[in-house]
Amino acid sequence: MFYDLHMHSCLSPCAEDAMTPNNICNMAFIKGLDLIAVTDHNSTKNLPAVAEVAKAIGLKMLYGAELETSEEVHVLGLFNKLEKALKFQEWIDSKMPNVKNDEDFFGHQWIMNSQDEKIGDEERLLLVSLSATLEETAAAIHEYGGRVILAHVLDRANSVTHQLGFIPMDLAYDGLEVKNEEQRLRVISTNPWITEDSTNWFIDSDAHYLTDISEPDHFLRESVYQKLWGDDV
Amino acid sequence: MTVKELIEKTGWKLSTPSLDTDIPVEGAYCGDLLSWVMGNGEPQQAWITVQVHANVIAVALLREFSCLIVADGANVTPEFAEKAAAEELVVLESDLPVYESAKKLVELGI
Repeated sequence: MFYDLHMHSCLSPCAEDAMTPNNICNMAFIKGLDLIAVTDHNSTKNLPAVAEVAKAIGLKMLYGAELETSEEVHVLGLFNKLEKALKFQEWIDSKMPNVKNDEDFFGHQWIMNSQDEKIGDEERLLLVSLSATLEETAAAIHEYGGRVILAHVLDRANSVTHQLGFIPMDLAYDGLEVKNEEQRLRVISTNPWITEDSTNWFIDSDAHYLTDISEPDHFLRESVYQKLWGDDV
Repeated sequence: MTVKELIEKTGWKLSTPSLDTDIPVEGAYCGDLLSWVMGNGEPQQAWITVQVHANVIAVALLREFSCLIVADGANVTPEFAEKAAAEELVVLESDLPVYESAKKLVELGI
C-alpha cells in the first residue's frame, strides 16, 4: 500500500484552508495513495468528515492526531477505528490547556462536514502542549487502542531528538517517522539501541498544503500493516 | 564553590540526599532543549532547567555537569530522583523561576 500517515486538515491553524476533507481525499486518490491518515494538532474533530469522504472514494484510512507532549515533542496517535479515535478526544480534552485561538495570528481552526462545509470553529488554540509527558501520552494512546509513532524524529523543532536529545531507550512506541531514507540511517547510527528491524519506519509528508501530500513513493507491506495492528486489524 | 555550599546558601531542596555534595561548581548553564544542552554545556557547570524527562539525567552525565537544578517548581518525581541518585547525579529543586535561580548563582559568585 502506498501511504501517507501524517497530514493536517483545515482544523490545524497552520494548514491551508484548502485542506478540506474532499480535497485531501481526492488529492490522495489522484496521487495514487492507498492509505492515508489525517493527524491534526491535538484534535480528532475533522476525522468523521474525512472518514466519510474516504469511504465513498474507496481510500483506506487510519484515524489520528498529532499530540504535543509537555516536553513539546510531537507524537502521532493512530487508530484503526474512527470510534476509538473519537473516544481518545476525551483524553486530549482532559490534558488541553484552555487558551483561546487568535485566528489572525495562528489561522483558522475549521471543523468541516463531508460536504466541505464549515460546521464549526475549534475555539481553543490547538498549537499547545498537553499536560502529559511523552511516556504518559504514549501510554494513553495504547490504552485507547492506538499506535504510537514518534513524528519527524530528526526535525529541528518539536521532535523527540530536538527536545530530548535522543530517543529514550525504554519508551514504548510502535514506529518512527522520518523524512527520507538518509534520515532513517542517521537515526540508526546515532541511537545504537535502534536497528532497522527493531521498529516500524514511516516516511510521511506532514502536509499542511494540498500539493505537499506524498506521491506514491512510500510503500507499506501488508505484513507490516498486519504486524502493526496484530489481532486488532 | 561546591554544591554543598550552594545548598547551604540558597536553601534549595536536595532531591538526592544519598549523594555526596562536595562537588565543585564552575559556572552554570540554562536550557530546556536537550539537544542544545548536549552541544553546548561544559563540565562542572550547574545546569538549570525545567525539563524533567529521564533523558535529562543522561545528558547531565554526558556533559559532566556538577549538579542539576530543577527550577520554577517543576515536578521532580520520586522515580526521577531515584534514577538520578542511582546514576550519581546530584539534583536540587528551586522554587524560583530560571532567571531568578540564575541570578542567585551570580550573587553567590558563580
